Amino acid sequence: MNTRPFLGWFVSPAGLVAVGLIAAMLAVFQYSVRAYIPGTLEVGGFTSANFEAMLRPLYALAFWNTVLICFETAVFTLLLAYPLAYALTRTNSSALRSFILIVSVTPLFLGEVVRTYSWMIVLGNNGFLNTLLLKLGLVDRPLRMMFTSGGVIAALVHVTMPIMVIMLAAALSHIDRNYEKAAESLGAGPIRIFMTITLPLSMPGIVAGFSTAFAWTFSAFATPQLIGGGRVATVSTLIYQLGFSSFNFPFAASLSIIGLALSLAVIALLKKAASPLERMAGTT
Amino acid sequence: MLMRTDPMTAHTPAAASDKIRPAVQLDGVTKRFGDSMALHEAWLKIRPSEFMTLLGPSGCGKTTLLNLVAGFLEADNGEIFIDGDLVTETPAHMREIGIVFQNYALFPHMSVAKNVAYGLKTRGVEKREIARRVDEALALVKLSGFADRKPKQLSGGQQQRVALARALVIKPKVLLLDEPFSALDKNLRGSMQVELKQIQRELGVTTIFVTHDQGEALSMSDRIAVMSAGRIRQIAAPDDIYRRPADRFVASFVGDANILNGRLVEKRGDVAVVSVGDISAEVPAAPIAALSAGDALDVFVRPEHLAVTSRGVSGSLPGTVTTQVFQGGHVDLYIDAPGSARERILLRSPGIAALSSCPVGAEIGLTIGSDDIVAFPPREAA
Repeated sequence: MNTRPFLGWFVSPAGLVAVGLIAAMLAVFQYSVRAYIPGTLEVGGFTSANFEAMLRPLYALAFWNTVLICFETAVFTLLLAYPLAYALTRTNSSALRSFILIVSVTPLFLGEVVRTYSWMIVLGNNGFLNTLLLKLGLVDRPLRMMFTSGGVIAALVHVTMPIMVIMLAAALSHIDRNYEKAAESLGAGPIRIFMTITLPLSMPGIVAGFSTAFAWTFSAFATPQLIGGGRVATVSTLIYQLGFSSFNFPFAASLSIIGLALSLAVIALLKKAASPLERMAGTT
Repeated sequence: MLMRTDPMTAHTPAAASDKIRPAVQLDGVTKRFGDSMALHEAWLKIRPSEFMTLLGPSGCGKTTLLNLVAGFLEADNGEIFIDGDLVTETPAHMREIGIVFQNYALFPHMSVAKNVAYGLKTRGVEKREIARRVDEALALVKLSGFADRKPKQLSGGQQQRVALARALVIKPKVLLLDEPFSALDKNLRGSMQVELKQIQRELGVTTIFVTHDQGEALSMSDRIAVMSAGRIRQIAAPDDIYRRPADRFVASFVGDANILNGRLVEKRGDVAVVSVGDISAEVPAAPIAALSAGDALDVFVRPEHLAVTSRGVSGSLPGTVTTQVFQGGHVDLYIDAPGSARERILLRSPGIAALSSCPVGAEIGLTIGSDDIVAFPPREAA
């Protein structure tokens, strides 16, 4: 007690928030096992019908779809962010460093809705991209990009980039440059150095960035809702539809619970699958 | 510059060193970092199988020189040759050099065997041959049972051996050692030095060793290049560096030196006669070429080259013992001699006799018992 006199005071605000959060989660859980009474916000008795309904193809597909979108988003984000993070940590030019930081981090400072609208302007039938392609004569009618999962993924990649770049850059900057110099002195060219030294040693950052990107995308709502336009069903858009269009709170709650469980399960699975990779990098 | 390298040619027959093709040669290599001159026109020839040490305080340019030879830095001016081939523009991975880094830089995600095999794999050596040579290299550094360990599971000394094996297994044209002992504790350092020197001699690999530790440099090197402020001040064998330092910096950086107030008496060709109080002595004339008879100069005398005698003996300097420090094998006496030296004089007396014969406060006479003394023009500021 004497050694940490303010600990209690410092922790209490966080404690209050935690209590609120736990209470809300318990309420959601409670709703998920109640019966839905159409036409009212009241709920009926305890039932497991909500969870059974989720096995129906419509909902199972939404879950599968969400996992797929998250996975693809994380993969593309990783592929785009790695070169940026690499350049960020390796360049000697401070101008280039600032440029990369600004380009990759600004999406964080735009609201999700603003960002999504700008993507709608880019992806729409009369949008920037299609106009450009038509003018260049590369296509003769507009490509359909809005309301497709491709469009949703493009926008989600944009959202996820900053986190991925930051996490990868952190991992890359912790690699002792002498490892690369040692490999070079032993006769390894740039590509071999990257494949045998840099890439394996940055594995912890890749795993962390990938899992974070996955979790972020799983809970994304505005982007799949606006760009998907109801035609790309994800867990979060379904929850919104059921909860706030049909006012089926019990079913929305059970979707939330399963969604949460699923995303935790996938992340745990990712971590497990990645642990040999991390061991390879010698970090554990 | 030429004058400074004189002591080298004095002890290494010029004819012989010209006939042998140098393993490493630097011709006027210069490197700038922005406005600061990291290395100024370095000229250096390293003979095959030679153990050459770059010695100097931090920031003297020794690591820059090493990185230039390795190919990690590009020279602004000058040319670098390895084994007679011009490599100034050759990328590091094609120079066939082995490096042991200060922190060893063992690949943490690979086993000991994989670390050692790395340089052979990049060369496309056949698998069975790799296994054979890795075994051989690990045996050389006495780590045979450790092939499957990860670097993290090894002690500092063992990690260093792996780093050495990894650098040597590729049969490099030059072995570069960047302060390899600085991370080891003192006892281990001594035994690793002996072992490294032994392996180096056995394999006959040309070695460039960077250190700021003059003891390491003196004990391990065939020749030493003393560096300061981006310049090579002297290149010579360790005993020459110690006995005939080419300039003030070398004299005070390598070993301890007392600075006595002297005066130039006369010059006789290569040598000059100087006087310190009643004592007169011969010193090399080259460093004081600019002075003429009667000029004041600083005479550098090693602590072990001073001896104690009775006060008033002719040819001695008067002094008073102020401190005794027992060092085990010898006794350090600190002596005030206001007429002869601006600073306290350190005298190193072998054995323990001085403990009783020269108590604190004793008024004694000092004599110089060696020909290995040098003189330099007085420091401007003093």
